[in-house]
Amino acid sequence: MAATQVLPRPKAYDDTFWKPISLWLTTTDHKLIGIMYMVTGILSFVIGGIFALIIRLQLSQPNLKVVDPEAYNQMISAHGVTMIFFFVTIFLTGIANYMVPIMIGARDMAFPRVNLLGFWLVPVSIILYYSGFFSGGALDAGWTGYAPLTEKAYQAKSLGVDFWAMSIIVWAISGIMASTNFLTTIVALRAPGMKLTRLPLFVWAQISTSILLLVVGAPLAAAMILVEFDRQLGTQFFTTQGRPVLYQHLFWFFGHPEVYIMILPGFGMISEVIPVFARKPIFGYMSMVAALFGIVFLSMTVWAHHMFTVGMNTYVEGFFMLMTMLIAVPTGIKFFNWIATAWWGSIDFEVPMKFAFGFLATFLIGGITGVYLASVPVDTQLHQSYYVVAHLHYVLFGGSVFTIFAGIYYWFPKITGRMLNKTLGEWNFWTLFVGFNGTFLIMHTLGLEGMPRRIATYSNEAWAATNLIITVSSFLIAFSVAIFLINVVRSWNHGEVAGDDPWRANTLEWATASPPPPYNFERVPPVRSFMPLRDLRESGELEEELTPEPAPA
Amino acid sequence: MWTLGLLLATVLVSSCGVGGLSPIFPNPVSPNGQNIYNTYIGISIPAIIIFVGVEIALLWVVVKYRRSTQPATYVPPQIHGNTPLEVAWTIAPLVVVLAIALYSFVELQRDFQPVSASNYTVVVSGHQFGWNYTYPEGFTVHQEGSLQTEVTPFVVPTHRLVRLEFQGTDVIHSWWVPAVSGKTDAVPGYDNFSWLKIDEVGKWRGECAELCGVGHSTMQIIVQSMDEPQYNAWVQQQMAAAKSSP
Repeated sequence: MAATQVLPRPKAYDDTFWKPISLWLTTTDHKLIGIMYMVTGILSFVIGGIFALIIRLQLSQPNLKVVDPEAYNQMISAHGVTMIFFFVTIFLTGIANYMVPIMIGARDMAFPRVNLLGFWLVPVSIILYYSGFFSGGALDAGWTGYAPLTEKAYQAKSLGVDFWAMSIIVWAISGIMASTNFLTTIVALRAPGMKLTRLPLFVWAQISTSILLLVVGAPLAAAMILVEFDRQLGTQFFTTQGRPVLYQHLFWFFGHPEVYIMILPGFGMISEVIPVFARKPIFGYMSMVAALFGIVFLSMTVWAHHMFTVGMNTYVEGFFMLMTMLIAVPTGIKFFNWIATAWWGSIDFEVPMKFAFGFLATFLIGGITGVYLASVPVDTQLHQSYYVVAHLHYVLFGGSVFTIFAGIYYWFPKITGRMLNKTLGEWNFWTLFVGFNGTFLIMHTLGLEGMPRRIATYSNEAWAATNLIITVSSFLIAFSVAIFLINVVRSWNHGEVAGDDPWRANTLEWATASPPPPYNFERVPPVRSFMPLRDLRESGELEEELTPEPAPA
Repeated sequence: MWTLGLLLATVLVSSCGVGGLSPIFPNPVSPNGQNIYNTYIGISIPAIIIFVGVEIALLWVVVKYRRSTQPATYVPPQIHGNTPLEVAWTIAPLVVVLAIALYSFVELQRDFQPVSASNYTVVVSGHQFGWNYTYPEGFTVHQEGSLQTEVTPFVVPTHRLVRLEFQGTDVIHSWWVPAVSGKTDAVPGYDNFSWLKIDEVGKWRGECAELCGVGHSTMQIIVQSMDEPQYNAWVQQQMAAAKSSP
């Protein structure tokens, strides 16, 4: 075949993390900002995990007092806020910040300086939240911070709630900035030939996530501002004299879509990983995109399913029940399409693929228990119990965390130019899979037996054995995360050199060097389908990759 | 994937209900609780079928389509989709969830409307940290929160539909006795309703299910049922005690 033009591959730019601090502080490069988002996310994951271990120690046996109830309530709140706001959402914003521009063949985000500001609001938000611990006690009303427990009448002596509200307002502004930036970038900066119908599914997932955060970020900030008015200006929006349930409506109008903000990018990553390692194109590309938007729409119509016990009209409850259950349909489409993609494939179970299948096996349980919780009568039993804690961890740990690990193992070679160690990766996967299921599978039974969530301790001896197994398993998760951290730190400078395209992938980020130069591409490759790199590889238009240089001793 | 097997084994072990690992809540003593229990079982039938089916499909893919067991020349078919198949697995889950929603909605209408069939209303009011039960006879039982000792029981007569009216006085609390029925929130500002009708004599434990402050875990609940003569004697005793201590 007469290959018209052979695309040059750019030279690797710089594969060390150790850049001058002034560069990190001022860079508008979406890749460096992406790395900072991801590092912030992982640090938050470790901190949130330490809170979780303290919680598990406290609950391992009846009537234990590792920390007193005041501190315990701050721990559960900090665990939730840290994991949801500062780990999962932030990490996913980071990986999208790094990958989305490269995947669509752009040189940077549409608004690089907004990107810079949006990122630096995140540490501001985190510092604000943790300042609460030095103001007489941080938020202690759970991550949802239900009024009127957050009102001054019940929180007179500390400023923890104020710091939390401020922190979330800053966080929401940062999220709105990032969402605007993603949407503009994807609309305006696509490479020639990158039609919307050729976008990688991870980019589609980022579009849907950004729309969600754009719509629900503002009501969240509004709820927090009203909480502050109640606390500091003496208004009566959510106080005992006001309408506490209104707070729940506002919070969950953000809170439920937030679950999808934390899982849709993960869906996107799985949609990238499975085709590459099964050597088949994604099954049902258009139905995958349609399902994403089905989820976006439905997720904004289900918020009151968190409130089935407050005493709403039964027809209103019926509506929210129906809409909640309907989410199973688009989610089911995605699930079946993933399985169909792998079916008849030639599957290489590299570590990212192991995590992808770990995600499928566990997220299924979170999806099914979600249908039980959507049923209003059944929910009045399960609501606010350990069944819900188990369910939400199947969704956010089995879902988000497994997909995040799949994404890290998949893209680490692109970001650093080096492979993560495979043996440590396998250890990471198996210990996490066993530890995770050991922790959360039997946790369902605690809820069924009547153990409410957020209790600092309990006297019921019947719950003791189950709680002990859960605590032991949770330390296996900690062990697994430790393996992961060691793997990342070791591999960053000493891992096997990856080369540009170690997985023989389909999308544009693998067409440039690892790590990519600041300008991403010397010449943006032509795009003729939703698998542009594979097209180039098959038509021989891409310059053969140079043999990776051996790692310096 | 032996770990998936382990996972399934864990499910099986937990299904046996050994050592506090029950896959279902305790068999309820009130009809509304019993109906919730039945709904749970009803949903479990499609849920278990779907769970097992999908996990088997995943295992099949994992075992059958590994590159390491395939001939080196194997090239997977490059299929981009199949419209009839995709329509099928859109419609099938839709039918299943609509059936579950309808089934749940029938139960919702049956047991969660405010009941008018009873003139025996106990006002349950939550506060930090305990419950007060005000009976139609005029006396109030104070169930103060405690972790160490058994709390004062909330006594109800057997064979009688007792209407519960929930009131919140400070923050939101949630009244939950799994063996009786689902939970109901006590929210300041308006009344919330539930009911119970217990036909056997016994005692059941419950807890406050909504985080309400440092004493949240102490807000334990005990419901005790007494048959009619015993209950009437207990009511007389309470009324006498209420009169003697103003």
